[in-house]
Amino acid sequence: MYNYVEDGDSKTTAYVESDKEKYEAFMARIEAGEKIEADDWMPDDYRIALIKLISMHGISEIMGALPEKEWVPKAPTLRRKLGIMAKVQDEMGHGQLLLRVAEDLMKPLGKNRESLMKDLLNGDLKFHNVFHMPTKTWADAGMVGWLVDGAAIISQTNMLDASYGPYQRALQRICQEEVFHAQHGESIIMALAEGNEYQRSILQESLNRWWPSLLMFFGPASAETTGSSKQDIMIKYKIRKSNNEELRQAFLSKYMPRVFALGLTVPDETIRYDEKEEKWIYKQPDWEEFKQIIRNKGPRSKERLRLREIAYENNSWVREALATKAVTV
Amino acid sequence: MSQHIETAEQAKQDSTYLEALKELLFQLGDDDLIISFRGSEWLGLAPHIEEDVAYSSITQNTMGHAAMYYNLLDELGVGKADVLAHDRIPKQRRNGTYLEKRNGEGTYLEEPYYDWALAVVRNYLYEVFKKIKLEAIANSSYQPLAFVARKVLMEHPYHLAHWKLWMEQLQSATDESKKRINERVQEAWKEFEDVLELGPLANDMRSKQLIAIGEEEMKERWLEEVKSVLVDVPDSPLEKKYGNGRNGEHTTDLNQALDILSEVYASDKAAIW
Amino acid sequence: MANESDFYQVYEVFSRRGNKAPMQHQFSLLAPNKEMAMMMAQENFMRREEVIDIWVVKQNDIRKMTSEERQGLTKRLDNKQYRTTKGYGYLRQKWKEKEQGMLDEKEIMSWKEVKKK
Repeated sequence: MYNYVEDGDSKTTAYVESDKEKYEAFMARIEAGEKIEADDWMPDDYRIALIKLISMHGISEIMGALPEKEWVPKAPTLRRKLGIMAKVQDEMGHGQLLLRVAEDLMKPLGKNRESLMKDLLNGDLKFHNVFHMPTKTWADAGMVGWLVDGAAIISQTNMLDASYGPYQRALQRICQEEVFHAQHGESIIMALAEGNEYQRSILQESLNRWWPSLLMFFGPASAETTGSSKQDIMIKYKIRKSNNEELRQAFLSKYMPRVFALGLTVPDETIRYDEKEEKWIYKQPDWEEFKQIIRNKGPRSKERLRLREIAYENNSWVREALATKAVTV
Repeated sequence: MSQHIETAEQAKQDSTYLEALKELLFQLGDDDLIISFRGSEWLGLAPHIEEDVAYSSITQNTMGHAAMYYNLLDELGVGKADVLAHDRIPKQRRNGTYLEKRNGEGTYLEEPYYDWALAVVRNYLYEVFKKIKLEAIANSSYQPLAFVARKVLMEHPYHLAHWKLWMEQLQSATDESKKRINERVQEAWKEFEDVLELGPLANDMRSKQLIAIGEEEMKERWLEEVKSVLVDVPDSPLEKKYGNGRNGEHTTDLNQALDILSEVYASDKAAIW
Repeated sequence: MANESDFYQVYEVFSRRGNKAPMQHQFSLLAPNKEMAMMMAQENFMRREEVIDIWVVKQNDIRKMTSEERQGLTKRLDNKQYRTTKGYGYLRQKWKEKEQGMLDEKEIMSWKEVKKK
């Protein structure tokens, strides 16, 4: 569900002069709607951008399982326990699909799953801003399922025609499962919205808490806001179609009427749809805070990484043990 | 009483039958609930992503089985499935004590030093037992239970094959993995026995043909099957170090589990979630 | 001697939905050996769909087309109607003149059942 890619210091150029012909053929192929495969020639900045995008997307799914997972053993009924378990399982599964795509792209660079996990733990590989946030009540489990996943669906469906074949095929699978996720989230939210006063209060508090993160979800509107954004290259290479602000507007258009229909409010009294400009006017979130969050300085960044680190390190004996089977079989 | 009881109403006619049936259903439901609860804590923390996904399916299936037994209890007028799962004190629970054991040090929320060797050994030993017990009730005199048992047996072979493979591979890999598995097997030998028992109403369960075999035969069959997979079979007899869960005796690990399991449920019992 | 990265072997996963369906490529997964790959395949990729058979194949054992081969060996001219029914469509009219039907695909595939004596 990742969309925003921090630029870092990469100054990768598309191709060296001697590859000009290959580059032109490549551009012609993607212009014609053909799909690029892992072993096809591709411009360096295309490969680098894809690796960044897909490994962050994949690892964000894995990290994204953690906040929701907090509510799996606690879910209030057997049906809710099963539903959220299946949903978090899917998130792990999406991580699996995406990491496999990233791993194949990284193979020429001598990297694999192990390198990705190490990059995550040492801070080189970032994960999505929403997954650095705490989940305080059961309503947060619903909010993640409904609006965070809603935002994710907007951003992922936007890449269903991506020029990179393996990514696009993984996204087809993922988006099909997201339909279940969307309804799973709605179901939790609907019960709370139609529930008693306590349930409605935790629901409203949850939306208030998640609002800034939801606005930040798609990343800043332009590079000037935070000093970096790879959105232009994503569009040039036909990885996605729309820019960050267009996606955010699409999200607001799809979900704000539903938010209001449930009798909920958002913590921004100025929000409105401007008929003339045909867009949502809203108060900007604190983009400075956003920068801090994605640098692993969010409210729960350390704890979530710690969970992942323990799970990874503490179980390394298992992988070492079976690695011998890989060698002998 | 005849051998085929078709409905809950019929079962309620004979109080001995009814009590033995309820006891058996609580054993089946509580075992599956607690082991799937421990499985749900593992979600996202397994040694390998692909395994995490596979394990979660087993956990979901198992919790689904628990729900089926609780629904049978609901039909008998004992209470709604969610109430039975979330709102009974430890003394009322009938699961084997070994199944409630924590996954390792820490909790799933903080410092989860969970032990994969425990997960593998426990799930393997449990799934072997589950198969034997299900086969023994597949022709139960209580038709609704026999029907559920046959359905559960349909998806159970994957569960058993999954954990058996993990046992076999870790027992034949490195010195460390052999040692870790063996230590957990030794430990299980001291704690597993009550899982194989049928509790205070065992005789009624047998005489009313709710179940086709007794405790002794269950133990024998179980030992025979696990011995074919265990590389080091402990010499000592099976024990129930932490008491008999079939009698409602439990450890504080069960309290910890129930506190988490029912946290949201208990925050407002009247609410519809 | 093995090290931890050896655990991560790539397996391609194939499955069949039903008796009449072909084996279909699903996706790939990492596993230390084929038994583990098989044990994880179904729940990773076919949690929600029918499956009656699964294959796992180590990726290294597959001879795939290279990028160049895909570009170069998969293109064909569109002049091979003689190889398909398209090139024989005129027969329909001929048979019609002789008051006979065309033995087209639909007709021939319907010959599964022959009248019992």
